Amino acid sequence: MSDYAVEISNVGKRFMRSSERRNSIKERIVRGQGKRAEEFWAVKDVSLNVPKGSVYGLIGHNGSGKSTLLKMIGGIYRPTEGTITSQGRIASLIELGAGFHPEMTGRENIGLNGSILGLPRKEIAEVTDEIIDFSGLREFIDDPVKHYSSGMYVRLGFAVAVHMKPDVLLVDEVLAVGDEEFQRKCFDHLYSLRKAGKTIIVVSHGLGQLEALCDEVAWLERGTLQEIGEPTDVVASYLKRVNAEESLKNPLAEAKRDAADHEGGLQSNLRLKSVQLTSTDGTALNHAETGTTFTIKIGMHLDDTVLGPNVRIALQHESGPLVTMVGNHRLGFDFSYVAAGDHVVEMDLLNNPLLPGRYRVHVDVFDHTGAKLLDSWNDAAEFPVRSASGEMGQGFVQLQAEYRLK
Amino acid sequence: MLTALKKQHALIWAFANRDFATRYRASVLGWAWSLVQPLATLVIFAAVFSIVFRVQAPPMGNEKTSYAAYLFTGMVTWNLFSSLVTLSMTQLKSNGELLKKVHFPAYAPVLGASIVQLIQVALELVVLIGMFLVLGNVGFTWFIAIPILIGTALFAQGIGLILSIMNARFGDVMYIVGVVLGALYFLTPVLYPMSLVETHSSALAWVVKLNPMSWYVEAMHDAMYTLTTVSVLEVLALLVGGFLVFWAGFSIFNRFSEDIGEML
Repeated sequence: MSDYAVEISNVGKRFMRSSERRNSIKERIVRGQGKRAEEFWAVKDVSLNVPKGSVYGLIGHNGSGKSTLLKMIGGIYRPTEGTITSQGRIASLIELGAGFHPEMTGRENIGLNGSILGLPRKEIAEVTDEIIDFSGLREFIDDPVKHYSSGMYVRLGFAVAVHMKPDVLLVDEVLAVGDEEFQRKCFDHLYSLRKAGKTIIVVSHGLGQLEALCDEVAWLERGTLQEIGEPTDVVASYLKRVNAEESLKNPLAEAKRDAADHEGGLQSNLRLKSVQLTSTDGTALNHAETGTTFTIKIGMHLDDTVLGPNVRIALQHESGPLVTMVGNHRLGFDFSYVAAGDHVVEMDLLNNPLLPGRYRVHVDVFDHTGAKLLDSWNDAAEFPVRSASGEMGQGFVQLQAEYRLK
Repeated sequence: MLTALKKQHALIWAFANRDFATRYRASVLGWAWSLVQPLATLVIFAAVFSIVFRVQAPPMGNEKTSYAAYLFTGMVTWNLFSSLVTLSMTQLKSNGELLKKVHFPAYAPVLGASIVQLIQVALELVVLIGMFLVLGNVGFTWFIAIPILIGTALFAQGIGLILSIMNARFGDVMYIVGVVLGALYFLTPVLYPMSLVETHSSALAWVVKLNPMSWYVEAMHDAMYTLTTVSVLEVLALLVGGFLVFWAGFSIFNRFSEDIGEML
């Protein structure tokens, strides 16, 4: 006996583009086999071993081949090349309640679904009560499932699947079902299955969930394996790639202002010219990351020497509220005499406390007394904040704090 | 094949149970409805063919003649064949959502549906027996009908399995099968006795005799209607032949159903 619940070696899955599939006999005869259909490899040369009793996560973009791989493990697809060996009963949470018949009662469907998932009749009878309790549908269990709400349907489906005593449980993006309470129940159950030494393979976009749940994570991209390892490491490099790709797609967070844009009526010898987001090493950014220091650079032109200007930056959340306003005076930075000419004020926002979201930047400059507005630039720039861990958080900022229990 | 069927019998029964439970649950009269259609057909055909076309049935075992009884004997056999074929053919498609998502032997829903259909055939058989009892046409040869009907069912199921996998792959199979079954019905001595074709066209008689369903229907006519014994060899041939077709159908089905999840 091997220590692995599932062994996948050099597995590939080829699909024919559906537009080229000959679905009628006429097409088959008329076009024959002559022209080869366009091939598409959904999974290519993937090898990985899932240790017994582990929780294994699969991550990747949509269309990266995660679900295809899961379907091959579940035996729904056959690999075009390579082999998959697995030990024990595999139950799949790929589609909850797929086997339910609307005219049959909840109880009857438990029996049918159990048989389809391969549990002997006697064992089904043993777990039926447990399933009913878990689903919380005792009241409705003898009604036809066509009268169930979609939530009830899914709850019963989940309850059935996890009670089939699987040795390997395949979970595909189904953790986002039911209400808060049921979701928690599902997670608790997954944890208890894990404790009982069952193997769980999860496909999810909830990276935070995966980091908490998994022992090991594999990252797939366009059907090929990118990285296998510790969840935090793999998730981090996955997000790094995602963010990098997004950087290529999104415009940089920077803005320039013409002289004509200046608000009329301001009599001053200072003009704000540009705003730019950069990393601490100076590369231009299109987004900031929660927890990572970044720099806001403000370019300005002075016609004359100015004494101790106070450059204030206001950050406004996309939903409206002003999150914070920072100025060099309040933080104790005095620029003293600034000579005429072009200058750039650099502000490092240490360990960026902003939580993911979009933020707008407003800039204004006052003189050293704080009484006279030298220039003001509303909506100078806008930038998104992303999180490396995938956590979204609540509110706008993440405060640095320490806890003690006394 | 037998070990596979034995191993999966619980699953096949589970599907049979589902179909049994759901088939007539929505209608009040339930199973009674399932007899209305064949009996209505019987009445109409019996009227049209015996009165309008003046088709003469051969004499029964008790020397009397009943075209309706002759017709119904053939209809029960034919219905067993055609209902298993058409029902099996659509099973993979109607269970498609399930087959795409869960891995289990694809023949289970096909065979499960057929088992439920056999109950319908049994009901028709009961009506047929009742009919013969009323007509006073009873004989020990009736027992021969059992292996013949089993042979018919196996033969039909074998063809049904092959057609179901073809229908999953090609969308137009069910239309072709509809036409072929319609033609085959008239090339089987259900509506007319074999002797009638022979007196009119020997070429056509050959075509009818080459149709395997004619063999099963004629054997049923012998056993149930004319009450003549069918030779052991013939009964054996029909039974083994049916089994071989079933075995072939089952093998072909399993060979091509491995990728059923992608095919549907």
